[in-house]
Amino acid sequence: MAEFAEELEPLFDYRRIQPRNVVFLDDDESGASPKRRKISNPMVEKVVKDGKVVHVLDIEEKENEDWLPPPPKITCDASVLAENSTIKELRLKKQELASFAQSAQDVLRAMEESAKIELGKSLQPSTDAAADQPKKPLTERNKIVISIQDKDGLKQFRIYMDDKFERLFKLYADRVKLDLRTLVFCFDGEKIGPQSTPDALGMEDNDMIEVHVKSS
Amino acid sequence: MSGGIARGRLAEERKAWRKNHPHGFVAKPETAPDGSVNLMVWQCIIPGKPSTDWEGGNFPLTLHFSEDYPSKPPKCKFPQGFFHPNVYPSGTVCLSILNEDSGWRPAITVKQILVGIQDLLDQPNPADPAQTDGYQLFIQEPVEYKERVRQQAKQYPPLI
Repeated sequence: MAEFAEELEPLFDYRRIQPRNVVFLDDDESGASPKRRKISNPMVEKVVKDGKVVHVLDIEEKENEDWLPPPPKITCDASVLAENSTIKELRLKKQELASFAQSAQDVLRAMEESAKIELGKSLQPSTDAAADQPKKPLTERNKIVISIQDKDGLKQFRIYMDDKFERLFKLYADRVKLDLRTLVFCFDGEKIGPQSTPDALGMEDNDMIEVHVKSS
Repeated sequence: MSGGIARGRLAEERKAWRKNHPHGFVAKPETAPDGSVNLMVWQCIIPGKPSTDWEGGNFPLTLHFSEDYPSKPPKCKFPQGFFHPNVYPSGTVCLSILNEDSGWRPAITVKQILVGIQDLLDQPNPADPAQTDGYQLFIQEPVEYKERVRQQAKQYPPLI
């Protein structure tokens, strides 16, 4: 009975262990799989560096001889041979272009930086001088073309939307050589005050205002 | 749908007017106190022609456009009781180009309407009277008619 028991125990143990052994075997195989990865790695390296690829592959081949059959290296060699002539050239050209593009970017960056420095230099004194300060908003102000209608027809003037009309009136009076005090300007039938602006009257590009000469 | 057409056309008319219009004329869509614009009613001013008895007057005229505009003409109204042979007592102008059944064409612009009415002021059409007062004086008492026209012009002085 004891023998039976002894026989039974190991039997059970083995059945339990055997699957574990299979797992261990799997581990061994998984230990081999990194080597497969190693094979794929040089493929990646090959993309990056042309010259060294061959050496890396050679080392692989020696290692592979122990574990893997030769066919894969033949396919690798074939692909390398096929790639070497045309694709190598293409890659070299790609690299050339890439380096060219980078150098161009560098030049651009250098230009921008120098321009920024110059701007900074030119702006610094202007911001210091109070008189030049309105120059900054100038770039953001919208201009408008306004036609002034008199008996001779239309005359066009370009002013800022937030310019006071007195500036436009002066420009007109100077051009037609008339005394500003005798002129009345109207938009939509209403007299325009010299302190008003195109913005305030909701004027649009090419809007027309009329000028009337006081008879008295 | 036709309302969309009317408003679209009126927006174009207004746009064109802002860029250029005859000197002394005003034509702008009505603006409500809340600032909203009603394109269907325009407040206009027609200046009396120089070197006529109408000179110096700036006559207010209101254009009422319907949803059928420009298939149908706008109703053009001077103030009630306006003195002119071809203006109804209500102020409505009687003019062939403003008559849907005779002279109106959809291509007629606001500018042409206003200039047409300005012409009518000094050249009444006795064949188509709209009020007795103006018509009878025009036909029978030219001197009195002239005087009435001059007085009316003074009633509507320029704003400036």
